[in-house]
Amino acid sequence: MSTDEATADEVLADLHTDEWEAEMQALLEEGDYDAELGLEMAKDAQRLVAGELDEADFYERYHDAVIDEFGVDDRPVAEAIEAADGDRETFVESLEALEDGDLDRREAMKKMGAAGLFLGLGTWASKENAEGGPDAASVAAGSDEEEGTQYGMVIDLQKCDGCLACVVACSQENNTSAGANWMYVFTYEDDQQQGENYLVRTCQHCSDAPCEKVCPTTARHKRTEDGLVLTDYDVCIGCRYCQVACPYGVNYFQWGEPDTPRSELDPEHVYDGRDRRVDSRPPKGVMGKCTMCPSRQDGKRGEEKIGTTACEDACSMDAIHFGDMNDDESDPNQYLERVRAENANDREDYPNRTEDTVSTFRLLEELGTDPNVVFVGNEPGPNARQVEGPVSYEDVGEVDRRKEVLDDGTFGGGVIG
Amino acid sequence: MSTKRATESDILRPLSATSKKYYALVAVTLVAIGLFAVAWGLQLRDGLIVTGLADWGSSGGVTWGLYIGAFIWWVGIAHGGIILSASVRLLGMDRYQPVARLAELLTLAGLTAAGLYIIIHVGRPDRIVTSILLNYTETVHTSPLVWDVTVITLYFVMTATYLALTLRYDVTRLRDQLPDRFEPVYKLLTVGYSEAEDEVVERMVWWLALGIIILAPLLLHGGVIPWLFSLLPSMPGWSGAIQGPQFLTIALTSAIGGVLILSYAFRTAYDWDHIITDDVFRGLTLWLGLFTLLFLWLQLQQVINGVFAAPIDQTHAAEAKLGHPAYWISMGLAITTLAFIFAQTIRPSLFSRTRSVLAGVAILSATLIEKIFFVVEGLLSPTFELYHAVPGSYVPSPVEIASLIGTIGVVTLFFLVVSKVIPVVELHAIEAHEDDGDEHGEAYEYDGDGEEPTADRRTSTEVNA
Repeated sequence: MSTDEATADEVLADLHTDEWEAEMQALLEEGDYDAELGLEMAKDAQRLVAGELDEADFYERYHDAVIDEFGVDDRPVAEAIEAADGDRETFVESLEALEDGDLDRREAMKKMGAAGLFLGLGTWASKENAEGGPDAASVAAGSDEEEGTQYGMVIDLQKCDGCLACVVACSQENNTSAGANWMYVFTYEDDQQQGENYLVRTCQHCSDAPCEKVCPTTARHKRTEDGLVLTDYDVCIGCRYCQVACPYGVNYFQWGEPDTPRSELDPEHVYDGRDRRVDSRPPKGVMGKCTMCPSRQDGKRGEEKIGTTACEDACSMDAIHFGDMNDDESDPNQYLERVRAENANDREDYPNRTEDTVSTFRLLEELGTDPNVVFVGNEPGPNARQVEGPVSYEDVGEVDRRKEVLDDGTFGGGVIG
Repeated sequence: MSTKRATESDILRPLSATSKKYYALVAVTLVAIGLFAVAWGLQLRDGLIVTGLADWGSSGGVTWGLYIGAFIWWVGIAHGGIILSASVRLLGMDRYQPVARLAELLTLAGLTAAGLYIIIHVGRPDRIVTSILLNYTETVHTSPLVWDVTVITLYFVMTATYLALTLRYDVTRLRDQLPDRFEPVYKLLTVGYSEAEDEVVERMVWWLALGIIILAPLLLHGGVIPWLFSLLPSMPGWSGAIQGPQFLTIALTSAIGGVLILSYAFRTAYDWDHIITDDVFRGLTLWLGLFTLLFLWLQLQQVINGVFAAPIDQTHAAEAKLGHPAYWISMGLAITTLAFIFAQTIRPSLFSRTRSVLAGVAILSATLIEKIFFVVEGLLSPTFELYHAVPGSYVPSPVEIASLIGTIGVVTLFFLVVSKVIPVVELHAIEAHEDDGDEHGEAYEYDGDGEEPTADRRTSTEVNA
């Protein structure tokens, strides 16, 4: 990408000269062509870059108008689209061809509409810069391509104050044993960031979950209806390969008898809508982890709890937003859009800036797990260190290091361990 | 030259002669197995909490430990055992024919111990059959653990077939001298036997040996077993294509170690100086040296790749490895063994059977420690190391250690029992002797693998005589 970025910047630098600005003005004022069409196309070019519109649509939408206006539609994208490549790169290559002099720049500008090219190039450049950058993690981008429901979360780390209310709510809701922190909040320090930062770690409910892949029994599975990654407590053999394969460390095995006996569990909170035993704490000898509350989503715990999770309900800072990551109208996507709108960049004066100043990331995305939790805030760097938080796990009646509890059950643990 | 001939009565001796030491050893293995049974009973009652294991991550433990390490170790011994036996048949390494069946039996025993580890390792052993088998067609596409179960089962079947086929020849010919109380076993083994089949069986066994030689390095200890670890995105200490060859060297060294111990035990117990000769020990020890060298060389590759300008997570994993005493104990044992074997090639007088066996024990200890440590160190140094409880800690609990004592007991008992039922040395091995008359030793002693006969060897054969 770096060479493309450089090229894009060079193109812009080359174009953004006083001489060029004047030329642009003149072209528009001359009114040889339809300035409105040019502006309309420019706006759609921005949508194209945002991934809301694909190149074929962009081409088709203006094909007739362009023919009417210019008599011929040989926009730089046209050839590329007709080559049926469909690859976004082709648009970039076509635009680069402008710079290379393969096409007469002035001629192209005239035909496309000077204003259109002006904005179009600007957005193209920012798109190029964004790819692979933090904005690649944005939920909106690419969400149109996904099908069906995929539950996940947007967690705003800038709002988190480390109170651990979500940790407590999760453990109470699911009756997990001491230290099985399905929800876990890190307080950490990082050389690249000031002060104390937080990372709220649920299960990432990955689209390409290693835990599901390695399971020898299908107990660990991804619910087809909503993409939740769950464990069927009646099928799991307790080999713990899922825990070994998960890069996030979200799995907690039931090493001994659960702290809460079966009789005290709410039956409506044990089986999901498919009647599979996937919710609440696991029984002895099988694996448990954050479920994102499937019995709530299936309406077994009341209509009002559909679309919510225990941790989300407990968060007074409004940092946790659960919902369908594939639906632009869902709570997490709306929240993200709102945050982005509140932090928009001044793109009128600085057209090559990104749309907003919001930093988002998905945890360990480079491992190819395709996680479905998007964080707003800074990503912990490679040398970040977990530190004591403002509220300790002990303060809220929870256990941080579970091994200390488990060691009490280790046979001969007092002697050797 | 030796005048002592290996006879049928020699190889049948274990089936008739039963010493007090034999009973004592049976008693010891039963105690070991009993200990194991009690420990497992505790675990079934209270759950895996009785082990020293815990969750990795916020909990500060490791989720796999001695059970999985020992599982790999036993599978390694098993795989190497049959590779040795198949080499005898396929590559004409006749010198080792007297220990070929011991190696085959070691494969079956090793796989049994490994199978036991799969069962005791899981939280719900009662569901293994239903949960794994009923979903097999779905899970076999993606789960390395299912690949393992598949290949190990295939391997067990191939080895058992191989052994059963070769036994038919021997049992038929020795039938009159075999104890009557196992009559049903012999009947079953030799069902439908006719002399005309010998040639066909020989070809079948050859093809089975070829299958095993191809399968073992490519698919087993150089394949699905290391893939359990190396294919995961989560633990840098496990990653890398080197794990295949590395696991294979561990299998081969461990197996030779095991065969050395068995050879020593049977030779001493049944006066088999003229069957399992010093030459067998000398040759096995040299092979042990070669594979130990490869083992150490691949360790070096991993360490160098981890410490020089590696990505952060790999660097941390390599540093953790180098900083752990268990790693150095294992490497120290391997290096010392290698140094001894090198010294022995330069100065043949350094050779003695006892030293060879000690080298075998040292290597088996080195590989066991290395394998357990490999499993644990991977989980101690994950890529996502933000948790302050990472790296965690792990000390095997008495329950886990009991399993190790118990499985060694199971394998020992297996040999004690099997040697009372079938001849553990092939009839072919002594037939080769007889064909060669007085020069019997030579046929398999100097079989062209390049080793010069030495003065020591002649002396030892003469002493035996």
